[in-house]
Amino acid sequence: MKVTINKQNEKTLVVLDGRIDSTNADQFQQDIASLMEGEKPDIDIDCTNMTYTSSQGLRVFLLLQKSVMARDGKMVLRNMNPRVKEVFDITGFSNIITII
Amino acid sequence: MMKKRFNPITDRSSEIVAFLMASPDMPKDEDLRFKIELSIEEAVENVVQYAYEGGIGWLEAGTSLDDKSLILTIELRDAGMPFNPLEKDDPDITLSAGERPVGGLGIYICKSMMDSISYRYEDGNNVLVMSKRV
Repeated sequence: MKVTINKQNEKTLVVLDGRIDSTNADQFQQDIASLMEGEKPDIDIDCTNMTYTSSQGLRVFLLLQKSVMARDGKMVLRNMNPRVKEVFDITGFSNIITII
Repeated sequence: MMKKRFNPITDRSSEIVAFLMASPDMPKDEDLRFKIELSIEEAVENVVQYAYEGGIGWLEAGTSLDDKSLILTIELRDAGMPFNPLEKDDPDITLSAGERPVGGLGIYICKSMMDSISYRYEDGNNVLVMSKRV
């Protein structure tokens, strides 16, 4: 999993590339640590090339969503492939994370 | 049936998943493979993380197809602490983000992605069997 984070004015643009599974979920959590900081975050995550996530990846997305809400911010996940989207759907994560 | 015993299993989830996904019993269809791989990863990870105190132990992983090559079956066997993962309550997926507990989704994902999943305790082993129409 490759994580690219770019700050543009008030917005934080993130691009995810690859898969999140048991071998790299901890690394993924470290890679996005900077997103867990700052007031009123505005985070836009491009998921076009996120090809897979296990429950350990979902865990990190939930932690991030909770953190964003606690800081009165917003976050969207964009262009998720249908297979990955189904994992978010069946776990109810599509209801608690904004996916566009 | 194609099967292999992995011993020890610490940090070997991805190797065990890769072994099963390379089985000739696996379908070619990418959507099916995605669901099967995800279910296998969740089930294997459960054993690797929790079955053995101190993490030392074995896991036997196998695949088979029925006579008509319609139903794929995946069997995982370990000699860890007796544990039926299917007894765990399903997560409440209607909760808000603030209320949702972190974790506990692995077996629920298996149940959702596979057609059937069963558990038995047999000869001192946990045996988890998952099947999917392919």
